[in-house]
Amino acid sequence: MNTITSDVIRGYHDTMILFILTSGPSYGYEISKRIREVSDGKYVIKETTLYSAFARMEKNGYIESFISTPQDSGNSKKRTYYHITEAGRRYYEEKCREWILTKDVIEHFIGKGENHGNH
Amino acid sequence: METIRNYLEAMFANMPNTPAAQKAKRELYQMMEDKYSELIKDGKSENEAVGTVISEFGNLEELSEDLGLKEEYQQVQKYTESHQRRHITLEEAKRYLLDQGRHALFIAAGVFLCCSCVVPVILEENYGWFGMMLMIVTAVCLFCYSSFMQNKWNFMKNSLCSIDYQTATFLQQQLEEKRPNLAVKKTLGIVICIICWIPCALLDMVFGESPLMDRLEPISLFLLVAIGVFLIVWSNIMLGSYKRLLNLNDKNTISGSYVPEQEEDRYVNDTVAVIMSVYWPTVTSIYLIWSFLSFQWHLTWIIWPIAAIICSVIKNNLKINR
Repeated sequence: MNTITSDVIRGYHDTMILFILTSGPSYGYEISKRIREVSDGKYVIKETTLYSAFARMEKNGYIESFISTPQDSGNSKKRTYYHITEAGRRYYEEKCREWILTKDVIEHFIGKGENHGNH
Repeated sequence: METIRNYLEAMFANMPNTPAAQKAKRELYQMMEDKYSELIKDGKSENEAVGTVISEFGNLEELSEDLGLKEEYQQVQKYTESHQRRHITLEEAKRYLLDQGRHALFIAAGVFLCCSCVVPVILEENYGWFGMMLMIVTAVCLFCYSSFMQNKWNFMKNSLCSIDYQTATFLQQQLEEKRPNLAVKKTLGIVICIICWIPCALLDMVFGESPLMDRLEPISLFLLVAIGVFLIVWSNIMLGSYKRLLNLNDKNTISGSYVPEQEEDRYVNDTVAVIMSVYWPTVTSIYLIWSFLSFQWHLTWIIWPIAAIICSVIKNNLKINR
């Protein structure tokens, strides 16, 4: 099975996290779980990568953090939640456009006839 | 979960001790804990869960870059490489504490013998000197034997060493268990030293002058001082051995902050820190010199309350709060 090299995906961690956050505030583990689910288990984000992205995006003003206790589960564990800001939404849309363009460009260089099993 | 905690602490051990790094450690631990409990809930064995969590952890190099700690991270890495620390295992730490326990008892016993060596002379003027010599010789033997046995731990003074998270928490736990016991010993020692003259004065008041009392009075005084000093020395060496182990790690890295016991008072600059480290010994010296030169003991005690006030003013104004 093919795995994704980290070089390729590095520029899109922010996109993935921001996408998860567009459907509501969330915390570390939940976000990493959602990323795994959304990618059909094909991509697992490393803990340090995830936290790096949080720190970076918080500094850039794309997300904001707040401390909260999850209401649904019975435990009273305090967690750091993140929610997306306006700037974060704009950045996400920008990254989406960038990806469509990138995909379009790269597509031209993929030999379609030879590797079909490998999209 | 223990394994995960130890793994995380080991990964962070050489990270610079900054609020950002501490926060990163807390957050990462939270994520790992969440992942671990979910894996266990899904019916994974503990080993499998730990394995998965650790394999999906990542590395700290990119993290330090995004935390804005890259420079500090590299500095600490470079320093750690050029200053290799000898790792002290939990087993070694336990053996060290055991050895220190015996060492403390031997030294305290030696000091006890030195303090009370005049007792045989008071009891019997002619042959008492032999008793005194015997006690001093025994004390010297205890000191020599004990420091000779201590030699094998000299490397801890001469070279850089480190302990891991597991050892640090173990030591902290042990210290908390022993602390009441040590505190009682030390307090008792100090109290005995303060009241050592009371039996002497009481005997004098009740029985007045008599050949027997003239001997019993000084003996009670010396014996009480000896017991008091014995207790103080014993408890101080014991406490010191825990502190020494806990203070082995580099204070600039996360490993220097595993347990609260490792934290030292920090001051706004090095000058203040140096002054504070010699503050009380200096005050004591001034008190003794002034007292012995002037012989006005009824006045010189005033130095203590004044010194205490100055000390708390310095601590409140120049200490860095965390």
